[in-house]
Amino acid sequence: MNDRDVWTARLSEYVDGDLPADERVALERHLPECAECRDTIADLRRIQSLASTLGTREPQRDLWPGIQRRIGEAERAPGVLPFRRRLAFTVPQLAAAAVLMMIVGAGTATLALRERGTPAPGGAPVAVGSPTVQPAAFAGTTSYDAAIADLERVLADHGDDLDSATVRVLRQSLETIDRAILQARAALESDPSDPYLNAHLADTMRRKLNLMRRAATMVAAS
Amino acid sequence: MDDTAPAVDSPSRPMPADAVDVALAQSGDQQAFERLYRAHVGRVFGLALRMAGPGAVEELTQDVFVRAWEKLGSFRGEAAFGTWLHRLAVNLLLSERTRRGRERKRLDEDDAALERQAGRRETPEVGMDLDVAIGRLPDGARQIFVLHDVEGYKHEEIGEMLGIAVGTSKAQLHRARMLLRGHLEPGLKGGH
Repeated sequence: MNDRDVWTARLSEYVDGDLPADERVALERHLPECAECRDTIADLRRIQSLASTLGTREPQRDLWPGIQRRIGEAERAPGVLPFRRRLAFTVPQLAAAAVLMMIVGAGTATLALRERGTPAPGGAPVAVGSPTVQPAAFAGTTSYDAAIADLERVLADHGDDLDSATVRVLRQSLETIDRAILQARAALESDPSDPYLNAHLADTMRRKLNLMRRAATMVAAS
Repeated sequence: MDDTAPAVDSPSRPMPADAVDVALAQSGDQQAFERLYRAHVGRVFGLALRMAGPGAVEELTQDVFVRAWEKLGSFRGEAAFGTWLHRLAVNLLLSERTRRGRERKRLDEDDAALERQAGRRETPEVGMDLDVAIGRLPDGARQIFVLHDVEGYKHEEIGEMLGIAVGTSKAQLHRARMLLRGHLEPGLKGGH
């Protein structure tokens, strides 16, 4: 076995920097006299470089419909209780949601009045929410914040009228959405013009309202 | 499933945008999950294509996202969603490799399959050409090459994932590179 044979199997380790120091020194002493090892090292480095540039590959057809179908089937399977269903409402929970929906309605009315420049009930000037980034797709953010703050106050005042477990479940659901809103706002601080983030924030805020609206609809239908 | 990050993590969308959709998807929002799918499908599809070959890549990609939906409740945000999804995909693809390997009885020793294809250039793109060559590597060598050279995992991580010694991982990587070397066109080679 000649020197080249000895080193051939170790050349990848050399390229990766994994060769122990003493062996690396020995190989580097061998390289000036072995064109084949030098060529192999150059090729290995080229392959390594090419591999690191391999990017994403998009499927030739949209795979989402199949995923969505399978997710739906899994959710409907008997005996399956995915984690998401923990958020499903019981009747008392729906009642609480209905209460919240009424509160939202009041808040939304307040919001609408403020946006038209009409003083809020009581005639006091409206203290808007924190001057955070305004998502283009949901221009009423600060008023929205103020309305939500009003709702939170009402809930705190009347929360004792509701079953505590019901309030807890609703709060958990809202906290999940609120967390998403905060994260979107934080992201927008560094990139206020990002249309994707703006759309997400607006969408998430709508979802917060829709959560309550859906709950109220279900109460009415029950 | 843990949140261990691979050595290279390059989620295709910024983390904050993912975080919003993850929170929504965790509450059952399929539209949010669809956005996560669209943001990450290219990376998952590329990984599946290179790890498992083109035969079942669409089905495997769907498997990854269905599994991700099922496991989303266990995602705690300790790593980027892209990192978590990538690790989930690798684990699923490796387990599928074992199952499909038994069914297909493809021989790792069939180096000649690649040798026969050497020099055939099927696409004008270097990356695509390398993908074709990767697809013709024997299973074991291909997966270690993809995990190490494409995805950036270390030999220690690969050894843990595959249940093999670090030395075996290094040997298979070298084997893969040497087989690919034979496939490179002279113009793509260094030192010539």
